[in-house]
Amino acid sequence: MASSSSNLISLKTSDGTVFKVERALAKTMKTVQAIIEEADANIYMIPIHNVFSHHMDMIIDYYKLSVAGKSKEFSVEKLDNDELKDFLLAVHYLNMEDLFEVLTQAVADRLEKKSVGYVRKYFGIENDFTPEEYAAIRKKNDWAFKGDDIEPEEDEEKQEE
Amino acid sequence: MAAFEELPEGCIATILSRTTPLDAGRLSLISKTFRSAADSDAVWDQFLPSDPNFIDSIISHSPSLANIQTKKALYLALSDRPIIIDNGKKSFQLDRKSGKKCIMLAARSFAITWGDDERYWNWIAMPESRFPEVAKLNHVWWLEIRGMINTLALSANTQYGAYLVFKMIDPSGFENLPVDLSVGVEGGNNNTKIVCLDSNVEPMWHIAGRRNRDWNRHMRRLQDRVVGLPRPNIRSDEWLEIEMGEFFNSSLEHEEVHMSVIETKAGQLKYNFFVEGIEIRPK
Repeated sequence: MASSSSNLISLKTSDGTVFKVERALAKTMKTVQAIIEEADANIYMIPIHNVFSHHMDMIIDYYKLSVAGKSKEFSVEKLDNDELKDFLLAVHYLNMEDLFEVLTQAVADRLEKKSVGYVRKYFGIENDFTPEEYAAIRKKNDWAFKGDDIEPEEDEEKQEE
Repeated sequence: MAAFEELPEGCIATILSRTTPLDAGRLSLISKTFRSAADSDAVWDQFLPSDPNFIDSIISHSPSLANIQTKKALYLALSDRPIIIDNGKKSFQLDRKSGKKCIMLAARSFAITWGDDERYWNWIAMPESRFPEVAKLNHVWWLEIRGMINTLALSANTQYGAYLVFKMIDPSGFENLPVDLSVGVEGGNNNTKIVCLDSNVEPMWHIAGRRNRDWNRHMRRLQDRVVGLPRPNIRSDEWLEIEMGEFFNSSLEHEEVHMSVIETKAGQLKYNFFVEGIEIRPK
């Protein structure tokens, strides 16, 4: 049973795994911290929605590296785009400032110079502009399409659909 | 699989603020939510220079900027065309792709040897110049022009190039003439480039014809002096420019960067060289 003097907090992920983490790590999760502070009695176990055990593994890796002053060694290169998105959502839910910064930068790096079509697919977002609206915004931002090394918009004609 | 629509606009804005101005401009086309995030002040604030006093001082030179409502519009205005500051001695612009500061120093801010003597140099207004005055060379043997910029005016952690911006109108004396261009940080290394300011690369000895061998030999020897030397390029504003050198602005301390154009060895008269200034922009 966890007590307030214990240094370990129990977190239960969406897939039912229980992680016992140091209080200091739990403190970096503002969402969890808020739950702990709100509870009058001692908390036995905190469920964290939207967070899976493989996310917790990475969060713990990052925490260990930052405590050792090696946070720069943390890398999400091995994650594919969907996995990175999921991880970002989990970290966003937990409200972890530093790791959020790292992940938003990682997503930004993967988006740089990519075409509108690619980014739509990456984020799974539909174009909700009318053709007229799209044309107007395209014209207004024409300067942004003039870089030398930007991916061409293969499917721009399809925007009309 | 997570639906990315769950990510609030603020989150998308955070991601976009870590890309580049061109990306943020382009990605406003993805969807209405994305557009709202991409156009937000939170994003464009990151692209603008971080020193608020600096922005205020630039706006004070260009009153039309004071009415701009959004950071994106401000960024686009500051990167659209040069703004004249410092009593006509400098112009300022943001490089649209990177948000880095670009400065052009006007010829009026330079130390030009014999520059105050009307026999040698005149200061004239040219409609195609951004500055009120351009330095016009009537004639001179001793060509020595020196300019300086303090790195405090530039963006940190940036590799900058310095470019001499000029025109030649009925010039004489610059063909086959090597000229020394230097750029160096005060107290540090000074690097000199030898260039030829004449953009006409055609060998002139063809004019003499084949019969006059002494003349041809003489001309060939002159041309050898400038074989392979860098030549000027034409800019989009139709002035000529030639790179003088480059330097890295670490901005750990404020330093003075000295630039010079020197030709004092050949002993030949040079005519009709018009200097607009020196542009300092990211490489």
